Amino acid sequence: MSNRYDINDDNALVIDINHLTKNYVTAAGQITVLKDVNLHVRRGEMVAVMGPSGSGKSTLLFVLGLFQPPSTGDYQVAGVDVLSLNRDQQAIFRREMLGFVFQTCDLLENSTVYENLELPLIYAGVPRRERPDRIREALRMVNLDHRVHQPSNRLSGGERQRVSIARALVNEPEFILADEPTGQLDRENSLRVLEYFTKITEEARTAMVVVTHDGMTAEHCTRKCVLTDGYLNG
Amino acid sequence: MAIGKRKKITVAELDRIRRRGAGPMRYYDLVRVSVREVMRKRRRYIGVLASIALGMAGFIVIITMGNDLKKNFNNDLDLLGGATIINVMFEPQNLERQEWFRDRTLEAIARIPGVLDITTVALKTSAVTTWHDRLFGFNLVGCEANYWKVFSFNAKAGRLFDQRDVDEGARVCVVGADLARQIFGSEDAGIGQTLSIDDNLYTVVGILGGVRAGDRALFVFLPITTAKARVVGISQPYSAYVRCATWDDVGSVSKAVPGVVKANQIDRGLRVNVAWEPLKQVQRIFWWVELFIYSSIVATMILGGFGIWNIMMATVTSRTREIGLKKAMGALDSDILYQFLFEALCVTLSSSVFGVILGRVGIEYMSRMLGSRPPEGLFVFCLLMGLGFAAILGVGAGLYPSIRASRMQVVDAMRYE
Ligand SMILES: Nc1ncnc2c1ncn2[C@@H]1O[C@H](COP(=O)(O)OP(=O)(O)O)[C@@H](O)[C@H]1O
Ligand SMILES: [Mg+2]
Repeated sequence: MSNRYDINDDNALVIDINHLTKNYVTAAGQITVLKDVNLHVRRGEMVAVMGPSGSGKSTLLFVLGLFQPPSTGDYQVAGVDVLSLNRDQQAIFRREMLGFVFQTCDLLENSTVYENLELPLIYAGVPRRERPDRIREALRMVNLDHRVHQPSNRLSGGERQRVSIARALVNEPEFILADEPTGQLDRENSLRVLEYFTKITEEARTAMVVVTHDGMTAEHCTRKCVLTDGYLNG
Repeated sequence: MAIGKRKKITVAELDRIRRRGAGPMRYYDLVRVSVREVMRKRRRYIGVLASIALGMAGFIVIITMGNDLKKNFNNDLDLLGGATIINVMFEPQNLERQEWFRDRTLEAIARIPGVLDITTVALKTSAVTTWHDRLFGFNLVGCEANYWKVFSFNAKAGRLFDQRDVDEGARVCVVGADLARQIFGSEDAGIGQTLSIDDNLYTVVGILGGVRAGDRALFVFLPITTAKARVVGISQPYSAYVRCATWDDVGSVSKAVPGVVKANQIDRGLRVNVAWEPLKQVQRIFWWVELFIYSSIVATMILGGFGIWNIMMATVTSRTREIGLKKAMGALDSDILYQFLFEALCVTLSSSVFGVILGRVGIEYMSRMLGSRPPEGLFVFCLLMGLGFAAILGVGAGLYPSIRASRMQVVDAMRYE
């Protein structure tokens, strides 16, 4: 299959979403959460998706992350029609091209920072001897390379979130998806995390979508979209 | 800098990446992660581990030492009823000569599977002795050295004559306890004394003891060679006693004996006497004991299995978020499946290793108690069986929870609170 995605283009279109809809079938009947969503994100862009609670932000995030399929619409990532992939292909695509940062600073319990970052590399089949360098490099991006072997539950909230950013980076994704990344952090730590995000999009020219309802977070993004009544505006 | 290295992927490449990633390395890593996970959560597995290990140890000990144990039990229980002793004899005939056991017949019977020992006796029912002008009448028995073993006799005082005495035709005798008291006044007083029986002199070397010695309290025993050489009127060996290894052998041995006798000599007047009643009683008791032992072992194992199942199910639920996270990081369904399966296997296999160690300790202890060598071949067999069983248990109890974990939808996992 041909793929027009240009790796030499610093502004190549990474996320290409057109006329996306999502319905849920509930006991009370069918509800349409996403009515017509269009989203285009280029390399180096950091797009905030905002919206009130219940507007469908998480729904959009799960569709973006290939966690659930949309009802209708087109979705391409880096030139690949990801909706036509099967389950395993999606999983592989996810680990090669996507990185996730979640609100709850989800690190594996009872594990060290190293073990947390090693897992995506294991799934990606990265040879053992390459792992320490990759892990150290990802941690360096968030200035935590001195904490490699620290148990993850002995880190502060801000540090945990930085570790999960490093984990999202370790497989060198083209596209990072963040869900309320500053939701549980104080102002100072939030600012630091956002600085790292900016650094990543500028230096690595990764595309990034940040789902948030926090105004300050949105201000740090290059662009801001608002989800209302199933439409994404902005 | 590698981060920010541009990447582009086609659908065809996805499948190639998938094939490339499915090497032994991946399984090594998954096993390593699973073992680590179990080690760090080891406290929740202690109960299961203990029950599987105990069941396994019991299984190994019973299977490995079962036969020795049975023999030992047999010895003890047998004293009460002689349930494993078969008496084979030739009955007196009216007109024709009464048959007796020839050596090659005895040897052939001894070779029947399940026969522990065979011994013959020659008898003189009206022997007499005088001691300090008093006359005593008694049964005189000529017997072999293994006679004592067959009936589990021991020496109440002194010693019982042995194979050397029999081989040499030594002039020694063993006296029944009551007779010894009548003649010498006490049991001990007779040891070393010389008795004159039918004009021959014999040294008293021991007094007969043992649970079943009461029947023979008024007997005098001579080595059969001595009796044949010196006692006038001693009978031919009309009667033989066969000791079976366990009571399970009694039936087959008693069936086999007539054919074996017939193959070797005239079998006119042959009779096989088995104490069926005590035998059945002992078998019944032991059947219940065995049932109890085996069912408690099986129960422990099943409990262990359910424990694993239960823990794995609970684990899958409580680790929903972790599963979602791993899938978000790009774990394939099969990665999740193997991870949970390896965790279950890790628990059952390490339980069985503990079980094998515990079983080995039990075997050493028991064989020391029973005074026998542990059968190593059987132990190795049990060890392999145990490991195989642990693997089956791990897969059996871990498979369904693992499949459930692997099939979980990422959204459901991520939405799960
Ligand atoms: N699996 C589902 N089944 C039915 N309704 C759902 C499901 N997931 C979400 N919804 C509904 O969709 C709407 C949007 O939810 P969500 O995407 O979580 O919004 P947000 O993240 O912006 O708060 C809500 O009304 C929610 O109740
Ligand atoms: Mg939400």
